Amino acid sequence: MTLAMPAPVPTLQAKDFRSDLKPIWCPGCGDFGVVQAVYRALAAVGRPPHEIAFISGIGCSSRIPGYTTAYGFNSVHGRALPIAQGIKIAHPELLVLVAGGDGDGFSIGGGHVAHAVRRNIDLTYIVMDNQIYGLTKGQLSPTSPRGLKTVTSMYGSLEEPLNPLMYVLSYGAPFVAQGTPADLPGLTAMLEEAIRYPGFSFVNIQSPCVTYGEESGQIKAQKEKMKALADMKHDPTDRIKALSLAQDYGRELYTGVFFRDPNPPPTYDALVKARQAELSANALPRQNILDLFLQK
Amino acid sequence: MTTDLVIGMAGSGGDGIVSAGESLIAAVATEGYHAMMTKSFGSQIRGGESSCRVRLSTEPVLNPGGTLDVAIALNWEDFLKFGGELPVGGNTIVIYESKTGVAPDKLPLPGVTPAEVFPVPIADMAKESAKTDKAKNTVILGLIAGWFGIGGDGVMKGLRKKLAKKGPELLEANERALAAGRKYAQDHPLKTPRVMERPKTVSPKLLTDGNDMCGAAAIFSGCQFFGGYPITPSTEIMQFLSREIWKYGGSVLQAEDEIAGIGAAVGASFAGKKAMTATSGPGMSLKTEMLGLATIAELPLVLVNVQRGGPSTGLPTKTEQADLYQAAFSAHGDVLRPVLAPTCVADTFEITVEAFNMAEMYQTPVVILSDQEISQRKETCDPIDTSKFRLVDRLRPANSELGTHYARYRFTESGISPISEPGMPGGNYLAAGIEHNEKGAPISGGIMHAKMNEKRFRKLNPIRTRRDLFQTYGDPNAPLALIAWGSVAGVAREALRVAERKGVKVKLLVPRLLYPIAEEFFNDFLSGVQAGLVVEQSHQGQLYHIMKMVLDLPKGLKSYARSGANPFQPAEIVRRLREQAQAMHQSGDSMPQEE
Repeated sequence: MTLAMPAPVPTLQAKDFRSDLKPIWCPGCGDFGVVQAVYRALAAVGRPPHEIAFISGIGCSSRIPGYTTAYGFNSVHGRALPIAQGIKIAHPELLVLVAGGDGDGFSIGGGHVAHAVRRNIDLTYIVMDNQIYGLTKGQLSPTSPRGLKTVTSMYGSLEEPLNPLMYVLSYGAPFVAQGTPADLPGLTAMLEEAIRYPGFSFVNIQSPCVTYGEESGQIKAQKEKMKALADMKHDPTDRIKALSLAQDYGRELYTGVFFRDPNPPPTYDALVKARQAELSANALPRQNILDLFLQK
Repeated sequence: MTTDLVIGMAGSGGDGIVSAGESLIAAVATEGYHAMMTKSFGSQIRGGESSCRVRLSTEPVLNPGGTLDVAIALNWEDFLKFGGELPVGGNTIVIYESKTGVAPDKLPLPGVTPAEVFPVPIADMAKESAKTDKAKNTVILGLIAGWFGIGGDGVMKGLRKKLAKKGPELLEANERALAAGRKYAQDHPLKTPRVMERPKTVSPKLLTDGNDMCGAAAIFSGCQFFGGYPITPSTEIMQFLSREIWKYGGSVLQAEDEIAGIGAAVGASFAGKKAMTATSGPGMSLKTEMLGLATIAELPLVLVNVQRGGPSTGLPTKTEQADLYQAAFSAHGDVLRPVLAPTCVADTFEITVEAFNMAEMYQTPVVILSDQEISQRKETCDPIDTSKFRLVDRLRPANSELGTHYARYRFTESGISPISEPGMPGGNYLAAGIEHNEKGAPISGGIMHAKMNEKRFRKLNPIRTRRDLFQTYGDPNAPLALIAWGSVAGVAREALRVAERKGVKVKLLVPRLLYPIAEEFFNDFLSGVQAGLVVEQSHQGQLYHIMKMVLDLPKGLKSYARSGANPFQPAEIVRRLREQAQAMHQSGDSMPQEE
C-alpha cells in the first residue's frame, strides 16, 4: 500500500496516541515520563497512529508500544532492530520507532545495533537506559557501573559498563542524543527532532528504575546533575567533540543532541527504492520467471 | 547403443571438472536428453578435490544413479576421496590421466575389475592442441563426445556463448582440444560400443538446480522480502534473489546474523509483505526463537532449511535428512508448524509455491525442508505451466471489521483471523510474543492461553486433508511398501522400477507434507502392508520415528536409515526390502508373494 506522504494533521493530540492498556510499570518509573514524551512528540510530528510501527524487544521498557495507539510489535528479547528494519524496508512510507532497555539493546541484542547504524535505515531507536534488569528483578545490566552490588553480583560487578553513546557514535550514527524524563520538555523536543531526522536516529534516555535503581539515578538526583549540551555551547555538527563528551557517560549527565550530521547520508530504504525503480524495467513477467532456465 | 549413462569425474579444484560437467549437461539438454548433475567438493575454499556426476537418459532421470558407467580420474588421490559418491564396478569404463603413472592393471580400486580401462595423456593432449593444460576439461568433453556420441557440437555451441567476449583465440583453442579428444576416442574404440541412443523427441527443457528453482518460485509466489545470512548449501537462494527480486519491487537483506535475517523477514511479514528466509542446520538452530514468535504472532513466513550433515558444522557440503525433528519440533511451548519437502528440482517449484500459499492462508511459518543434493544438483525439467497455480494472499479485514472494535486475533470458526498491517486505518493492533487476547493485549491467564493454543492448532487442521501433498506409485494392493521423502524419493522410485522388473509387487509413498502427519493418508496407504521400509538418509530414521509416534504401524514396517553422504542405491533398497519380507515370513507371519 502506498501511503500519502506525511501530511501534518495539526488536530492530533498527545491523547490520540495513548492506548487504553494500563502500564505494568512501578509507580514512579521513569518510563511513564518517556511514554508521555513519545505521545507529545508523535502529536507534534503529526503522522496518524496507523502510519506508525512501534517495535520493541523484551523488558520493562519494551512494553511501551502497547501503551500507544500505533501498530505495535512487542517481539523477542534483543531483536527489535532486525524486525524494525524488515518493516521499514518492506514498507518505507511508515514511521518506524524502536524502543527497549539497555540490556535488550546492548547485551542480548548488542550485535544488531552496529548494523542498524551502518545501514542507516530511517528509524528512531529509543533506549531506556536504567543500568539494571528490572523485569527479572534487579540483576546487572551492560550499563551497570563497576562495583555495583546486585542479586547476581553480591560482591560487586567486576566489569566496566558499556557506553551506548560512544558505541553508536563510533559506528557513524548520524543523529545521537540523550535525554531524561527529569526534563520532559527537553526530552519531547529531542524525540520529535530524532523522529523527523531522515536517517538512523538514536536517543539514549536515562530513565531510572524506581525499584532496583541506584539513588543517584533517580529523577530528583538527575535534576541536580543534568547539564544541557546547548548551555555548554556544544556544536552538534562536530562528531569528534561529541565523542569526547560521550566519554563522560556514567559520570556526567549531559542532555541534548550530541551529534546531528548536517548532511544526512542517503538512507538504506531510499537506496532500496531507487534500486527497485532502476531494475524493474528489466523484469520478465512474474509468471514467466522460469524462462530464465530455458535451454535454447 | 545405450539409453542411460552415468558419468563421474574427479580432479583437483583447478582442473575444471565441474565446469566440464556444466558444459556437458547444458549440451545434452539441448540435444533433448533428460539429465541430472551433482557436484561434490571437499571443504577447501579453493583447490582441494572436486567432482561431478552427470546422468543422462532418454527417459526422465529420477536420481543421480548408482555405479558409474564411465569414471574419469584426472588423478587418483582426488578421485578416491569421493568413495561411495563415485562407485566403480565391473561394468564401468575407466578413463584416467596416464601421467599418474598408474598401470591399467594396477588401478587403486581393490576388488574391482572395470569393463575397460583407458590411460589417456589428457594433459599432454591439452597442451598440444590448446597450448595450455587448462584445456584438460575440454579434452575430456571431446573423449565423451567421441566414445558416447553426446555433447560435442552442443558443447561448442555453449562455449561460443560463454567465451563470446574473450576473443576467437580461446574459442579456437577449445575447438582444437575438443577435436583432439574426439580423435583419440575414434582411434581407440570401445570393445563394447556404448553410444547413447538419440531421444525420440527433442523438446525445450529447463535446466537449473533446486536453490535457483526455489528463488524463482518465491518470486513467482509474490515474495517481496528475503532476509538471510550466507550458509552452505542454501546460499544460492539468496544469491538468486539478490539478482532478481529487485525487479519485482522486492529486496534482499544480507543480515548480520541468522537471527537478524529471519527477524527482518518477520518484520516484513508484519508489514504485509510475503517474506522468506533460507538457511541450513546451524542457522536453523539460531532461528528457532524467531519461528516461535511468528507462530504466536500468527505471521506468514517461509523458511527454507537446505539440510546438510550435522550436528553442529557436521558435513557442510554433503546431503543428509537429519533435520526433520528440528523442523517439526524445535520450539518451546505448544507449536504446530507445517513442514514440506520437495523431491527434486522441478518439485521445488511446486513445494515453494505451496509453502507461500500455506503460510499466507494459515498465518503461520512454514518450513521447506530441502537437502543439499536437491538444492545443488542440476536437472533438466519439462517447462512448468505456471498458470495452473493459484496464489493465496492472507485474509485481510473487511472495512466493516476495522475500527476500534477490530480484534486481530478474533476467534473464528476456522481459527483464521483477518490480519491487518501498518498503514491500514483502523487495523492498529499490538503483535506480540507474549500471550494475548483477541485484541492483542498481553494476558497471563490460563483460560485465554488455552483458547489461543486451541485456535492456533485448529486453524492448521485442513492441512492434514491435502491428498495432493502425497504421491503414491506402484500397485496399490502390494503387500510390500516403501516410504521415502526428499532426495531419497527419486532413488526409491527407481527401486520400485527395479522391483517391478523382477516381478516383486511393491508400492511407494512419497510424503511431501512431513509434519503434521496426515494420519488418514498414511493409514490408507499402510492398510494391507505386511512388510516395508522407510528409507531415510539419517542415522536415526527420523520420519519413521515420527510415524511411530503418531500411527499404529504394521509390524513389518521398518526403518532403513543411514547417515548422510552415503547415497542409497536402488538395487540395495530392493534387496533389503526382500530380506525384510523374508524375515517376516520366517517369523511366522504370512509371506508376501513375489516373483
